[in-house]
Amino acid sequence: MRSIIVMMSIAIGLFAGMAVLSLYKGMMKSRIATVVNAEIGHIQIHDTDFKKDYEPRFFIKNANTVLHEIQKIPEIKAIALRSITTGMLITPTGSAGVKINGIIPAQENGVSQLKLKIKKGKGFSEKKKNEVFIGKKLADKMKLKPGSKLVLTFTDTAGEIVSGAFRIAAIYQSDNAPLDERNVYVKIADLNELLGLTDQFHEIAIIIQDDKYLASVKKKLQQHLPQYQVDSWIDISPEMDLMVKTTDQYSYIIIVIIMIALAFGIINTMLMAILERTREIGMMIALGTSRIRVFMLILFETFFLTAAGTPIGIFLAWGIISYFNKRGLDLSGMGKEMMSSFGFNTLVYPEFPGEKLFGILVIVVSTAIISCLFPAARALKLKPADALRR
Amino acid sequence: MTNGKAIIDAHNISKIYNADTIPVYAVNNVHLHIEEGEFTALVGPSGSGKTTLLNLIGGLDKADAGNIYINNIDITKLSAGKLIDFRLKNIGFVFQSFNLIPVLTAKENVEFIMLLQGAGKTERLQRVQQLFKEIGLEDKLNSRPAELSGGQQQRVAVARALASKPRFVLADEPTANLDSKSAANLLDIMEMLNKEEKITFLFSTHDQRVIQRARRVVTLVDGAVAEDTSNTMMNGKL
Repeated sequence: MRSIIVMMSIAIGLFAGMAVLSLYKGMMKSRIATVVNAEIGHIQIHDTDFKKDYEPRFFIKNANTVLHEIQKIPEIKAIALRSITTGMLITPTGSAGVKINGIIPAQENGVSQLKLKIKKGKGFSEKKKNEVFIGKKLADKMKLKPGSKLVLTFTDTAGEIVSGAFRIAAIYQSDNAPLDERNVYVKIADLNELLGLTDQFHEIAIIIQDDKYLASVKKKLQQHLPQYQVDSWIDISPEMDLMVKTTDQYSYIIIVIIMIALAFGIINTMLMAILERTREIGMMIALGTSRIRVFMLILFETFFLTAAGTPIGIFLAWGIISYFNKRGLDLSGMGKEMMSSFGFNTLVYPEFPGEKLFGILVIVVSTAIISCLFPAARALKLKPADALRR
Repeated sequence: MTNGKAIIDAHNISKIYNADTIPVYAVNNVHLHIEEGEFTALVGPSGSGKTTLLNLIGGLDKADAGNIYINNIDITKLSAGKLIDFRLKNIGFVFQSFNLIPVLTAKENVEFIMLLQGAGKTERLQRVQQLFKEIGLEDKLNSRPAELSGGQQQRVAVARALASKPRFVLADEPTANLDSKSAANLLDIMEMLNKEEKITFLFSTHDQRVIQRARRVVTLVDGAVAEDTSNTMMNGKL
């Protein structure tokens, strides 16, 4: 029974550690997927001066040449051309600073999946002009709904202030509430007309076939388009990369806390084991078992119990994580608003942290071995005559 | 007393409990000389110091005063590690409550000592078979302690005590937990080993059946030797 408790403690400790890692890995992958597929894309190309102040005059010149170069790279899956400026959104009840994205709806659906995020309204009409998508958070704040009118004011390529009246065609909601509050979408033709552009654009957002091609595609683009600024999502959103790394370290802190709890469990159980077997250990010492052998006996017992509990824990973790990896784990009960404000989807798909398995095993086995040192030391202090009297 | 055949020679040994407060002499200035081949009983009322004296002689406890020579080696001067090794090679122990390892079979319990001594598999097997034949439990080699009667467990404990081929065996109340038949059977085995293999036995007891069969009886009272007689003399009193 005691052995089963130690084995199960180790199995559950291991499961808990792997569950935490898988949850963080799933959340981070989901967040990166959101950043890449719904916000930034894998790679963006701009004029080298554009991102300094988002000035509309720094559009991509020689657009045809650029697009021709991009089409040569087979790893590229989809592109979206965007005209971008920053300005004010004004309604009769208030105003807000926004980033105005002029898009080609069909292209955008393949890159940022904008259509899938529509919560209210029907989307852009092919016939109507000056329609706008705004985020739910901004709509709530400004008390706007589909059909409401608003005015977008910004500077054109000549530096003159221009305004356009737009009607809300749809309200969208992504997993990133702050982004929803900041970004509005209009058709590129409508924006370009106000900006004084024709077929030009400021940004090319690119989706590649697989994350593993990110570095190579970026390198190719930099080589072929040296006069433009080519950035990957890591360059554009360094905070995301930092968040992934920080979360990685944070998850290890959680594992250490779990291991401390596991250690106390093992210490307690092994101390009980020694208490129960005081006579037996005393008898062994009396018969001539050296203290180092007694020490090793307890050490090996813990090691073998760990070795027995480890596959149980891994199998348990693998089974449960695989289940939720397919079905998804709904964390909306933990605060949908809060998670959304940090850019996280509440439906997380935990992923088995295979790459960290060795590290976790080292931590668990070390914890078990270290935990048994104290009980083993207690066993060494037993005097055979006293132990046999019990 | 010391004619060269001495196997145990204890001089002025004392063991004091509560030395800092109210000292209690569990063993008080005891002299004991045991020669090779003796079959000696330590007797006395409960609390007279029998087990403590056996523990001191067996090196399971440290004497507060005096010297104990086993085969001319003063075990009171040995370090804890050397004392364990000394016990393994020189002394066999039989405990009142058998103290077999419950998860091991009878054979493994006996083999355990030989494993500690580093004996090879063939040697262990031969010795185990020989010992089980002597104790009459050849058919119980693979039984676990829980599957054996008290008498059978104590016979296995005797086999274990002899596994390391010690020159003497210390037995603490070996028949205390046995019925009359098992006790007689155990004593037969011990006597046989004493006579045929010249193994020295020193055992504590207050069991009259055991005392009657001892050839020498040392009586302890309040931790001191009150009487030391041969059994022929004792029989007259009993």
